Amino acid sequence: MFGKGLIKGLQITWKEFWAPKLTVQYPDEQHTVPERFHGRFVLDVDKCIACGLCANACPNKVISIEKQKVGKKQYMTGYKMKIQYCLFCGLCVESCNKDALHFSKDFNMNQYFYRDIPLVLVEREAPAEPLEEEEPAAKAGDKEKPKPKPKAKAEKPAEPAAQTEVAAGKASDKEGQ
Amino acid sequence: MLRTQEYFLNFGPQHPSTHGVFQIILTLDGERIVKGEPVCGYLHRGIEKLAEARTYTQVIPYTDRMDYLAAMLQNLGYVQAVEKLMGIEVPERAEYLRVISGELSRIASHLIGIGVNALDIGAFTGFLLCFREREKIMDLLEELTGSRMTLSYARIGGVADDAPEGWLDRLKKLMDEMPGYIEEYQGLITGNEIFQARTKFIGILSPETAINYSLSGPTLRGSGVNYDLRKARPYGVYDRFDFEVPLGENGDCFDRFLCRMLEMEQSVRIIQQAVEQIKEVDGPVIGKVPKVLKPPKGEVYHEIESSKGIIGYYVVSDGSNKPYRVHVRRPSFINLGYLDEMVRGYLLADVVAILSSIDIVLGEVDC
Repeated sequence: MFGKGLIKGLQITWKEFWAPKLTVQYPDEQHTVPERFHGRFVLDVDKCIACGLCANACPNKVISIEKQKVGKKQYMTGYKMKIQYCLFCGLCVESCNKDALHFSKDFNMNQYFYRDIPLVLVEREAPAEPLEEEEPAAKAGDKEKPKPKPKAKAEKPAEPAAQTEVAAGKASDKEGQ
Repeated sequence: MLRTQEYFLNFGPQHPSTHGVFQIILTLDGERIVKGEPVCGYLHRGIEKLAEARTYTQVIPYTDRMDYLAAMLQNLGYVQAVEKLMGIEVPERAEYLRVISGELSRIASHLIGIGVNALDIGAFTGFLLCFREREKIMDLLEELTGSRMTLSYARIGGVADDAPEGWLDRLKKLMDEMPGYIEEYQGLITGNEIFQARTKFIGILSPETAINYSLSGPTLRGSGVNYDLRKARPYGVYDRFDFEVPLGENGDCFDRFLCRMLEMEQSVRIIQQAVEQIKEVDGPVIGKVPKVLKPPKGEVYHEIESSKGIIGYYVVSDGSNKPYRVHVRRPSFINLGYLDEMVRGYLLADVVAILSSIDIVLGEVDC
């Protein structure tokens, strides 16, 4: 009979009409973001040794690492990502030997101005002289003082921790809430 | 005697029914098509050229960007080509994960194919229902790979990561529900008389011409040619699964549509079998692969059955860590080659039905 298919289609539509709604009212409700989600990058500055493997793994040359030689060791002064060119393929995260670079679940990366788009994960100044073994992280503002006095040295342990926090938290601060 | 004049009409590149930026310059006599000249290239990004400046691993994310609706299958073709070139063994578990994610991609792509086919003809409900299930598949793929569409999941020598905890159970649950959903589409779209009237005996493609134009995928099988690479030349572990190749009879728009619909059922069957078989397979998901990939000098061509047809990768190595040349045989592009002759003699409204029955994706056409 002609029109049988139409009636069947209408039946299905009618059935679906009463089915539970799947639409999520986005800003108020949100889907749970899976564990492996490729979101904004997070760098664990303490673990990072600035080897540059991630920068080499990137197909689009998104990552630029700036480092300075302090004493015998390389000291990372900047870790910037031109996130507008990022493919979010995850090759950089995979290449990291020290487990320092991660994806976060934050997908909200839009910015109002183009100049705000690049993701600055680390931006700091190198210490003027090599730090001791127990103090892996850096402190800013030492560059002006060519030879810090022994008195300043005693303050060091407190400062690096604060500096690391700033570096790690910088990304989330930048976002316009 | 009444003299009619031919005129031309630009169909696209900004037409929603062209599935992207694709232009057909139609020459019309009244409402009849005299000639349809496809113009592609609006989405050309030079992926083949970009691949020459990337290392072998770095090419993988670019292959996603071709057929972004079935990204895993694009990844798979490329990595299998490089594996063939280097002679890398892939762990069994990785092979199963490749099959599962590949078939999920195929279902997602076919859901778009049939949904958009219905939408172009005017059945909006069918389109929405197809997208609803596609969303569930996207969620599963997102859990597995971290991305929804551009997965970049395959790696040379395996896959990026093992399935997360409980993922296979969720997959099994969805695959058990899937036949019910497919039945819904069948009732809503396939059985619809208006849809049938718009697609049956439209854009007929004979098996001989389909072979002569080297068409592939559901476009070829819709004409009744039984050629599916998964059966004809099994790659990976496809020889371990029991599935059928659905074929059309008349080679019209409806048969091509129905082929996709039935192929989804077969994909569900393959995934169900793979989920059962993967339980017995344990081990790593990526084989022993050197950090820096330097394949020996030579060239390789490998093709797999993608959702749109046969996708082939031709990779030439000069011994360095970057491919000398990568060429991709893109099924959408080749299937599109017959469009001109397929639309001749039909009405203007049929062009939309014919084009969407070929199921092209412009990322792949223009590469």
